[in-house]
Amino acid sequence: MSDLLTVDNLTVRFEVKRGGGWGKKSYLYAVDDISFAVKKGETLAIVGESGSGKTTAALAVARLVNAHRGSVRLGHEDVLQTQDEDLRAFRQKVQFIFQDPYSSLNPRQRAEAIVREPLDSLSSKFAAEKTQIVEGLFQAVGLRPEQQRLFPHQFSGGQRQRIGIARALATQPELIICDEPVSALDVAVQAQILNLLRKLQKDFGLTYLFISHDLGVVQHMSDSIAVMYMGRIVEHADRMSLFTAPRHPYTQALLSAVPTVDRVKRASQKRILIPGDPPDPVNLPKGCRFANRCPMAQELCHQQEPALVSNETGHRTACHLVS
Amino acid sequence: MQPLLDVQNLTIELTTRDGVAPVIDDLSFSLNAGETLSFVGESGCGKSMTALALMGLLPANIGRIASGHILFEGDDLVQASDAQLRKIRGNDISMIFQEPMTSLNPVLTIGEQIAEVLRAHQGLSRKAAWTQAVALLDAVRIPNPKGRAGDYPFQMSGGQRQRAMIAMALACAPKILIADEPTTALDVTVQAQIFDLLGDLRKQTGAAIILITHDMGAVAEMAERMIVMYAGRKAELGPVDQIIDHPRHPYTKGLIECVPHIQSEMSTTRHDLVEVPGIVPSLRQFGKDQCLFASRCRYLSEACLASRPKPQEFANAQSADCWHAGDL
Ligand SMILES: Nc1ncnc2c1ncn2[C@@H]1O[C@H](COP(=O)(O)OP(=O)(O)OP(=O)(O)O)[C@@H](O)[C@H]1O
Ligand SMILES: Nc1ncnc2c1ncn2[C@@H]1O[C@H](COP(=O)(O)OP(=O)(O)O)[C@@H](O)[C@H]1O
Ligand code: SF4
Ligand code: SF4
Ligand SMILES: [Mg+2]
Ligand SMILES: [Mg+2]
Repeated sequence: MSDLLTVDNLTVRFEVKRGGGWGKKSYLYAVDDISFAVKKGETLAIVGESGSGKTTAALAVARLVNAHRGSVRLGHEDVLQTQDEDLRAFRQKVQFIFQDPYSSLNPRQRAEAIVREPLDSLSSKFAAEKTQIVEGLFQAVGLRPEQQRLFPHQFSGGQRQRIGIARALATQPELIICDEPVSALDVAVQAQILNLLRKLQKDFGLTYLFISHDLGVVQHMSDSIAVMYMGRIVEHADRMSLFTAPRHPYTQALLSAVPTVDRVKRASQKRILIPGDPPDPVNLPKGCRFANRCPMAQELCHQQEPALVSNETGHRTACHLVS
Repeated sequence: MQPLLDVQNLTIELTTRDGVAPVIDDLSFSLNAGETLSFVGESGCGKSMTALALMGLLPANIGRIASGHILFEGDDLVQASDAQLRKIRGNDISMIFQEPMTSLNPVLTIGEQIAEVLRAHQGLSRKAAWTQAVALLDAVRIPNPKGRAGDYPFQMSGGQRQRAMIAMALACAPKILIADEPTTALDVTVQAQIFDLLGDLRKQTGAAIILITHDMGAVAEMAERMIVMYAGRKAELGPVDQIIDHPRHPYTKGLIECVPHIQSEMSTTRHDLVEVPGIVPSLRQFGKDQCLFASRCRYLSEACLASRPKPQEFANAQSADCWHAGDL
């Protein structure tokens, strides 16, 4: 399959108040020069600790936050340059599912209106057709027809997430960005939603950008994984390579930290602790951003930042010790 | 040997707009010194309520102990005087909450808050308490504890705040430490540090730990025994390894199977996750004389709706409140 989404050298920065001295602006580079591609019909997971830039990267791809530099292409279209009518067409093709099924739905709207909203604002379809689409969507996400008339508070958390998914599907998007779509749900409901997302992907040929901090979920859902640390991608590989042969010290620590019911894995895995905190994102140190916590750090790591380099199988790693 | 904590037939009632409901319904368990016991289950099943009951922190005017006993070293906390209770809770039993920000005082420095606990419970002088507070921050591996003791909660990261909470809970050298979802809001690498810390502290101080969580992986790594809660009742109780290998209650089985666990043996093919359909019933349904899991259970039979399942005991110390536990 060909690439649906191609991101090159994407950078997003936010202006911050402190540290700049007299009248000088200083910036937090939440996403700093990242590049990746996602094949049509596949799922790329983005993982990394809180504040590493996952959501910001996704928001920039969806043009919900401004990119400072770089390019984003959806198919052949240059996303960051589109305007007006083209931008409206783009918004139909890229939709978002949010973490919190409680706050992401308007409490005063009925479920049918919530699901129809993207059609109202982005398409020029007739009312009858929209009604029919909404009906189909309710069925596709496993909600009953009579539930269309209810308000968000009349649904459980899992059902609310189903409404969020139906809304995201309304414009028949090509790319859906799922930002922690199941983190707020109980495990049993989480399984229902994850199964639904995979089924919809198959049925509609969807491409997912899937953000999660749960590595078990990521292992189950994704075809490839990008690991972010302090605004950078530090490792990017297909699912099998990343989970069976992680190469970056941060990824190794991350995977070793996941508690597991698998006794074999528990016995064989030694936890790699990474003490301390990530550096101040506004005053980044020289060299590798992980160096102050990395158990393998060497002199060079504090001097020079490692580039993200691909090996012959396409497994990309940014670490001086990995070639 | 007498267990450190022996909870017998505990029933806690909550009074809400919909009436009175048994949010904990006839729960019995024991905890031995130095042991880690885990409570698991979906939200709303009564895990936190159990913890709050042990701490004497049930929501005022809403929650009350309707019947049962909480024996701590042989003394019944349900019957004890207020003075006795204050002495035990705070000294012998202390608790770490899910969201440290809500239980730390935002206008006092971390060091002051820990020192205050030490002064109140151990009668230390101001200076001795401060020194001890710094030592505790060091024990929970806060870097540069002398300097950080002067920080306010908002100046710390989530993981550091949680560690400061643990330091505070340890300030009175408790015999039981209750941790209610202590790492849910944290990254896995930070969670690993906290778990490591709890494990070390248990070894050093011999404290027993009650770990409340919804993560079976965490249970497997941290606890010797576990209690699965469903709708205010015990669904299953027993040694962690045995339950994970062979759950006897359909709910436990569902909880283990529905999660995409990170695996040692990965395959390229992926099957759908096992689903436990439906959701936890509302409080109004609690207390009915039937199995409360019935609407979600694929092993359902008539017996399940006829009366509340009695605990079925197994030779390996496993016990499941399910009429069909023996068939699973
Ligand atoms: N609107 C904003 N203004 C200023 N800084 C921001 C803004 N949004 C995000 N940031 C900062 O950018 C960095 C990346 O944030 P982002 O929300 O992308 O992280 P994340 O990886 O999604 O984290 P989490 O796992 O907590 O959701 C953080 O340091 C954050 O504080
Ligand atoms: N202060 C309160 N007032 C009314 N109901 C409450 C209160 N606290 C908890 N509950 C209800 O008690 C039940 C059990 O809650 P809890 O013990 O917090 O569950 P868990 O910790 O297992 O998620 C839930 O139905 C919850 O809504
Ligand atoms: S470059 Fe150095 S500090 Fe960075 S991850 Fe590799 S070994 Fe660690
Ligand atoms: S008693 Fe019946 S309904 Fe309840 S868990 Fe057992 S088999 Fe299922
Ligand atoms: Mg985020
Ligand atoms: Mg709780």
